[in-house]
Amino acid sequence: MYSDTFGAVPIFAGTFFIAFIAMCVAIPIGLMSGIYLAEYASTKVRQYAKPLIEILAGIPTVVYGFFAALTVGPFLKELGTSMGLEVSAESALAAGGVMGIMIIPFISSLSDDVITSVPQSLRDGSYAMGATKSETIKRVIFPAALPGIVGSILLGVSRAIGETMIVVMASGLAANLTLNPLESTSTITAQIVVILIGDQAFGDPKTQAAFALGMSLFLVTLCLNIVALRVVKKYREKYE
Amino acid sequence: MIKIKAKDVDVFYGKKQALFNISLDIEENQVTALIGPSGCGKSTFLRCLNRMNDVIDICSVKGEILINDFNINDKSCDVVRLREKIGMVFQKPNPFPKTLYENVSYGPTIHGMAQSKQEMDEIVETSLKKAALWEEVKDRLHEPGTGLSGGQQQRLCIARAISVRPEVILMDEPCSALDPIATAQIEELIDELKKEHTIIIVTHSMAQAARVSQNTGFFHLGQLIEHGSTDKIFKNPDNKKTQDYITGRFG
Amino acid sequence: MNKNKEQLLNKRYKAEQRFRLYGLSAIFMALLFLTIFIFKIFSTGYSAFQKTWLVVPVTFDAELMMLDQNPSKEDLQDADYYDIALKSMADLDPKANEDQENELKRMVSYFFEKEIKNELLNDPNLIGKTKEVYLTASDDLDQVFKGNYPRDLPEDQRRVSDYQLKIFDQLVANGKVESKFNISFFTNADSREAELAGIASSFMGSIFSILVCLMIAFPVAVLAAIYLEEFAPKNRFTDFIEVNINNLAAVPSIVFGLLGLGVLLAIFQLPRSTPLVGGITLSLMTLPTIIIAARASLKAVPPSIREAALAMGASRMQTTMHHTVPLSMPGTLSGTIIGLAQALGETAPLILIGMVAFVNTIPGSPMDPAASLPVQIYIWAESAERGFVEKVSACIMVLLGFLIIMNLFAQIIRHKFEKKWS
Repeated sequence: MYSDTFGAVPIFAGTFFIAFIAMCVAIPIGLMSGIYLAEYASTKVRQYAKPLIEILAGIPTVVYGFFAALTVGPFLKELGTSMGLEVSAESALAAGGVMGIMIIPFISSLSDDVITSVPQSLRDGSYAMGATKSETIKRVIFPAALPGIVGSILLGVSRAIGETMIVVMASGLAANLTLNPLESTSTITAQIVVILIGDQAFGDPKTQAAFALGMSLFLVTLCLNIVALRVVKKYREKYE
Repeated sequence: MIKIKAKDVDVFYGKKQALFNISLDIEENQVTALIGPSGCGKSTFLRCLNRMNDVIDICSVKGEILINDFNINDKSCDVVRLREKIGMVFQKPNPFPKTLYENVSYGPTIHGMAQSKQEMDEIVETSLKKAALWEEVKDRLHEPGTGLSGGQQQRLCIARAISVRPEVILMDEPCSALDPIATAQIEELIDELKKEHTIIIVTHSMAQAARVSQNTGFFHLGQLIEHGSTDKIFKNPDNKKTQDYITGRFG
Repeated sequence: MNKNKEQLLNKRYKAEQRFRLYGLSAIFMALLFLTIFIFKIFSTGYSAFQKTWLVVPVTFDAELMMLDQNPSKEDLQDADYYDIALKSMADLDPKANEDQENELKRMVSYFFEKEIKNELLNDPNLIGKTKEVYLTASDDLDQVFKGNYPRDLPEDQRRVSDYQLKIFDQLVANGKVESKFNISFFTNADSREAELAGIASSFMGSIFSILVCLMIAFPVAVLAAIYLEEFAPKNRFTDFIEVNINNLAAVPSIVFGLLGLGVLLAIFQLPRSTPLVGGITLSLMTLPTIIIAARASLKAVPPSIREAALAMGASRMQTTMHHTVPLSMPGTLSGTIIGLAQALGETAPLILIGMVAFVNTIPGSPMDPAASLPVQIYIWAESAERGFVEKVSACIMVLLGFLIIMNLFAQIIRHKFEKKWS
């Protein structure tokens, strides 16, 4: 696996690939739930549905990891086999999908907040033109709330990139350079854990490689966070 | 010609009644002003006419409002079609955070009124011209509408409202956030617009009501105290309360 | 024209309904995941709270135990119980050959000798008599009894032989197999044997870590918040600090683990695998959460309170300490509890500082090696034995239980004690 080189390209590719799968699950579900909660749901539904969805964010990641490894992975494998596909029990799809579920509440809560803070006068303006609710949302509210929504998605991405336990437990630890979600890939975080889980000497090149990986992880997420927080802040100021 | 006929309209916010038994006829192609002290229900009544009160959960409306002899409070009434026919301009200018062009083309787009880009350009141009804004903005149609001055923004909102050629335009204190010059421009515009549209304007300025309207209704504490031609209301009102309000004893 | 209009309107209303449906199904999906999740955990985990016992007649034969007449307490302690333990298992099937006797022995946990010994120590009069003793069933039989074991697998793929199953079924038929509440799951430390493994060591590890975390993070965070909110001048430096506190809250937890490993273990030479190091690492993570909560609740105290105190001649310090801080405490505390709940569920940083080591003793202080509940979940989830699957789920249930209690507690503090300023 690391016989001669510590090539990081497959690891970085795997990290972004799994984060991409996670966002494919989290963005549509999170965004649509946020929109529904903010615009359609009655006060009663909102009062119950919002905290229930937020429970998903409070569940420890190791629990998601266990769920992905024990339930989702084997389920996908069986499903794939029945369709004649070869699915690894530790597929990127299982890890990414479950990670996506974890990120849903981050996106839904933040976009709910952002959409609620769009001034009512814009909605009135659109309704008075004879627009339906969905037209108002798609053509007026969504563009107005876009910066805030982008910010919330970036925060979600940063969380997906930094997520460790789900990948360690549900995706493979071998760094494959692949874009097939049914195969196993590895991520920066998983590699750090793999390298450092035993007793390692601090001078060991592997240990140093792990710290280098951690450093790059830190920088990538830091950049994402700075951009995201700035975008959200700008947006807030606009409507205050 | 009577355009709108309100019969015994009651409005409730939850348990609190905001309007009592309002009956009012509104003439076609004239400007009707609704005046009265703040909180008297004139805006509430205005919002009944295009069912904007639907947006507020706790609000319920009883009674009949006939527009072209069709009761808009009937279950069979389609609010989308109703609001296409009845435009509205709000107290605070509320252009969408989009370009000027998109602001004006919004209504025609959702209602499918233009078959081609050319037609749409025409609609945008005529609407802006009618709103007396064309000359000022024709070179920056693709800049955001929020970059305009307050008066320009309000005229943009008027252009947006007339872009779908509504029969009626409701104006909810359209000049209250504007300076005197912008107000004068809008008043001039209202006079122009009444040729093609029936206009109902809510205003807290009696001078404005006297300047722009042909008919006036005076609201007080949720009741329509008196209505009639503007001349009569201002010069020779029947009701003592109207008299007091006009002459500035309360309000 | 009119017909076109009608069609368009129909289309628009259909689009409206579709959009609404998307939203509703998104909510439904999110809640469905949650339900599946909780159902799955509970359905696999609840059985771990039951433990299967075999009721086996044991003859306390003094000769086999090499005991004299009237043995003292010490003699009983030192006696050899292995032979009578073996014999009582072998007696379950008098016709058993040597291999089968071995298999019989493996029907109970390796702890069975000790269980028989405890029985005699409790009642020394049993010498020479026969008594039915409860012995912990092996984890595989435990799973068979709970119905989690696929009995129809070919024998060579099972860890339970046909012979063991036959004897076990006889015992079941005679009512000699009993299921009782699994106390040892809460009182035992970790073990390689699933039937004996418990969460006591990791539970204590979690408690110690959280305490260390609380003792470091709370004072530092509250003081930092007070300074930033009440005393700090507004300049670029404090702006910079403020932005970075927000950034810190979003840094991946594993980075904090690396920090713990690289600084606390490598430079300060603190003992590896201990809740002390774990707690310090977690406190770094919890700091921004508490600072943000504390600042928000300080900000919520209206300036009129400060002005009133200052007008009475109180110093700025007195104003802050006597009025602002006490009034902001409910918000701060509930933020702290939420931060601690996050720390309690954290795994990755603890793995990096070595709290993943196998610990089969219950730690007595933060300086003893320990695991923590989430790490225990990880350790067990990585084990192959079937018996650990339900243990993992049960451990998750305990962990989620604590998280729910902590969050409820935070809610209660917030709603009960927070003053509403109007």
